[in-house]
Order: sequence, then C-alpha cells, then structure tokens
Amino acid sequence: MIETENLTRKFGGLTAVENLTLRVEEGEVFGFLGPNAAGKTTTVRMLCCLISKTSGEARIGDYHVDREADCLAIRKMVGFLPENVGLYENLSAYRNLDFYGKLYEVPDEKRRENIERLLKLLGIWDRRNDNVGDFSKGTKQKIAIARALIHEPKVLFLDEPTANLDPEASKTVRDFVLELKKEKHTIFLNTHNLDEAEKLCDRIGILKTRLIAVGAPTELERSLYNRKTIVHLQAVTAQVTEAVKQFNAVKSVREVDNKLVLDMDHPERDNPELVRTIVAAGGDIQYVTELKSTLEDVYLKLIREAKTQ
Amino acid sequence: MRFAKSWIVATKDLSVFKKNRYILYSLIGLPLLMGILIPGILIFSLQAESAGLTQAQLTETANMLINLFTAYFVIIAAVLPTIIASYSFVGEKLEKSLEPLLATPTTDSELLFGKSLAAFIPCVGATYIGTAIFVVIVDVWSFTELGVLLMPNPYWAIIIGAVTPLACVLSVEANVIISSRVNDIRAAQQIGGLVILPLLLVMILASTSQIFPLVTLALIVSGALAVADLALFYLAKATFKREEILTKWK
Ligand SMILES: Nc1ncnc2c1ncn2[C@@H]1O[C@H](COP(=O)(O)OP(=O)(O)OP(=O)(O)O)[C@@H](O)[C@H]1O
Ligand SMILES: [Mg+2]
Repeated sequence: MIETENLTRKFGGLTAVENLTLRVEEGEVFGFLGPNAAGKTTTVRMLCCLISKTSGEARIGDYHVDREADCLAIRKMVGFLPENVGLYENLSAYRNLDFYGKLYEVPDEKRRENIERLLKLLGIWDRRNDNVGDFSKGTKQKIAIARALIHEPKVLFLDEPTANLDPEASKTVRDFVLELKKEKHTIFLNTHNLDEAEKLCDRIGILKTRLIAVGAPTELERSLYNRKTIVHLQAVTAQVTEAVKQFNAVKSVREVDNKLVLDMDHPERDNPELVRTIVAAGGDIQYVTELKSTLEDVYLKLIREAKTQ
Repeated sequence: MRFAKSWIVATKDLSVFKKNRYILYSLIGLPLLMGILIPGILIFSLQAESAGLTQAQLTETANMLINLFTAYFVIIAAVLPTIIASYSFVGEKLEKSLEPLLATPTTDSELLFGKSLAAFIPCVGATYIGTAIFVVIVDVWSFTELGVLLMPNPYWAIIIGAVTPLACVLSVEANVIISSRVNDIRAAQQIGGLVILPLLLVMILASTSQIFPLVTLALIVSGALAVADLALFYLAKATFKREEILTKWK
C-alpha cells in the first residue's frame, strides 16, 4: 500500500531522509521509530504529498507522490494527523470536523453520520458544540484524530499521536488505533514510545536519516541476542556448574550470584532435560525464567551504532 | 480550480471572523464611523461657508468636497484587510492549522482564493455600507438645501465600483506575502498598513491636481491598481505554495 524506493529529501546541505526503501502492506500497522530529527515527519510529509522529495520513488497504492494529478487522489485516500493538532480554536469541535468533511468531499448525510460516530466513539459527542480552545490537550488530540478519519481513509498517517498525552488519554488513543487495525486500515505511526510501538505495530522501522532496521517487534528483539534462560538456585555448586557445562545444548554459561545465565538456541526443546540434569547434579532450583532483550535494548544499541558510524 | 472548494474555505474563515470581536468591531465600526463622520464634516463646513455663496457656488463647493471625501473610502477598503487578513493568514500559521488544511484534496490556488475571498467580501461589503450611508446623508442635505441630488456621481461610481475593490485586493495580496515572513499579527497589520501609503499619495495628488478631469484620473488609478493587483497576484501565488508554506514560512 505504501512503497518507497531510495526516497531522499535534502534541505539545503542537510539530508533529512536518505535512500529510504520501505514497503507497508495493506492492513498493516507500521511503526516508525527514531530519535529527534531522524526524518520521520519529513518522510510522512513526503508520503502525504505535502512536500516534494529530492530523489527516489514513493507510491501510495498506485499513485505517485510526484505527479500533480496523483497527489489529489493520494490526499483523498489518506488521513493525516500532523505533529501539531492545528485545529481552529474559535470554532466548535463539530464545525472543525464538518469543515474538513466538506473539504474531503464527504456527502452531507455521510458527514453527519461520521462526525457523530467518531465523536461518540471518542467520548466528545456531548461537548461537540464547545469551542476547541476550551478543550484539554488530550481531547484536542482526539478531535484531530477524528479529523484524520472523517473521510474514512484507507491509509492513515499518525505523527506522534500520543505525544504530550497523560497515560489515560494515551491509552484511549492506543485502544482506538487497535480498533482501526481491526477495521483493516493501513496505519503508519511515528512515535517515540517504544512500548506503544511494540503493542500496536505489526512491523517497526528504525530511522536515523537512513533506515537502520526493520522487522516485527519480536524479530527485532531477537536480533540483538538470543533469548537466555536463567536458573535461580539455592546455591550454585561446582557439580551443578560442571553438569550444565557438559550439557550439549548449552552454548555458554555465566554465573551471577546464585543464578546461572544460559545461552541456547532452542530453550523450549532443551530446558526440560536441562532441569532434570541440574536436579540430578543436586541443584535446588528456585525459579527458571526467560531473559528477553527488549525493544528498548535493540533501539538504543542500533541508534548508538548509527551514531558512531 | 473548483470554486466550491474555495467557498468552503471562505465560509470557514468567515465564521472564524464572526467570533473575533476585534475583527467584528473594526468591520462595523470603521465604515459606520466614516459613513457618518465624513458627511457630517462635509455638511458642517458647507453650512459654515454658505452665507455669502450663490446656489451655484455652493453646489460647486459641495461637489468638490464630496469628491475629496469619496477617496477616503478607498483607504478604508485598504485598511480593513490588513486587520482581517492578518488573522486569516498569520493567525492560521500561528495555530499551525495550515498543515492539516494542506493535506486535504484541495489545490493551493483553491485555498488561496478561498482565504482571499473571505478577507475581501466583508471588507468591501463594510466599505459599501459606509459609503451608502455617506450618499444618503449627503443627498438628504443637498435635496433639502439645494433641491438637487448631488450623489451618486460618475467619479464616485468609478471610485467605489473599481478603485475600492481593486485597492482591497491589493491589500489582501500584500498580506499573503507579508504572512510568509512575519510571525506576529500586530506586525503583519503594521506592515500591511504601509500598502495605503502609495494609495494615499495617489489620492491626494488626484484630488488636488488639475491636469486631468477627475473621472479620467479615477480611471487611470483603476488601471494602475489593476496592474499592481495582477503583479502581486503572481507573487502571492508563488508564496502560497504547499512546499513554501511548510518549509520556508517561518
Ligand atoms: N523546513 C525545513 N528546513 C530545513 N530543515 C528542515 C526542515 N524541516 C525539517 N528539517 C530538518 O530535517 C531533519 C528531520 O526533521 P524531522 O522533523 O523529519 O524529524 P523527526 O524525526 O520528525 O523529529 P522529531 O522526533 O523531533 O519530530 C531535521 O534535522 C530538521 O532540522
Ligand atoms: Mg517529527
């Protein structure tokens, strides 16, 4: 649904996005992570036909972002939540949405229906006639999301939808994105919140001017290091350590306090036998747990590597 | 260009203006004040001088003053947009509402035309109401004192029919260009106000010089304004481009 090939954007001497090649499938939720100034917003702006690209290719569906006629079609099928909500503070929530509904060419009846459905879903319907200026940040953000959905777009670009929101408002927004995911919207989500990316996204891309990694959250987590098994013992004795070292499936062992940290390729398959071996060697097992690298570990490592390059 | 799209944008802007007291008071107050004040001064000065004058002399003086004051309405039509358009363009820039607007399936020209229309309509409308009051008051006076209706006259018709809207357009266009460089509504208003300086100069020259008949002069001024409008139109259009707005408007 979204496809880019060597997409590049320069601002004078500064390269904001470099050779970005990316594919987001229909119905997929794609998370775009990256530090400040990584080029996330610039990418989204190019994909929404808001700013031009310097070189490369970008398509939404069958439409090219650099063709004037295609751009109108792209803007029509795309919903966009910008970094700044940009609502008209002196107009009511309803009027704001109505205005955008008209610009997106939603027929009168449908427009009324959609506004009512969205505002009810987000719990703002009762306050629809209040000026947007009277709302809290979180509510404004919700109205802006409703605005992005007013024309039932196939593709949705959300630029940091939960930035500046309190935990509860963030959760409402996140739950809402999950609803949209069920409805098979294609969603491109810029975020700094790794937890959010992990919960919502099918795949994640990490950008720092260039794309430095892309994959499903679990894939990325595994890419850092193998999952490790940790065995907590009453006490680590020489016999136990020896028995574990003799165990074929174990690639490495590290002793930390009264714990053994083991590296294996197939822990699910080999752990039962491992436990029996430790028990046979006289080890008193308290817990057996799994140590996973988090998305945060992966992210920080990749970003640091990118910096030193 | 789809006019319907521009009209959606224009009506939105108009409903924003309606809620802004400063804009509302300016739109009602300035033309109303001028519509009453100008004929008031005019009548007062004519009454003061009328003693030694014949009917014909009085009519001539009245006509001269009418033509002199008619030009003030051009100034109103040029000043009002600096108040309104600064809210419309710089205001929208400050609210950061241009980006989602630019993301809609609307062309740059449609947006620009819609926003300009929203500034133009109330300004010209208010000026026309002001000048209508002016005409009525002057005529009531001239009919009772001189037994004739002195207004409307051809000079007034050209000033109000052509020069006023053209000056208003000039002012709106200037504001679009200024908005791309300025981040403060007050500053935009002050710089925008400079547009009236050349106009003012032309008006003073026009009403004092004896080279051309007034009507010819009004036509020349209209022509010059039309050319200036066209030039600024291309400049405004080049300024109001998605790419420019999102990357260069600071
Ligand atoms: N209009 C512009 N003119 C010049 N440089 C720009 C412009 N817009 C963006 N940049 C630069 O491009 C780079 C990428 O910016 P961008 O806003 O895309 O980053 P981002 O990943 O969205 O960051 P953040 O997480 O802070 O939102 C930055 O270095 C920024 O300064
Ligand atoms: Mg950004």
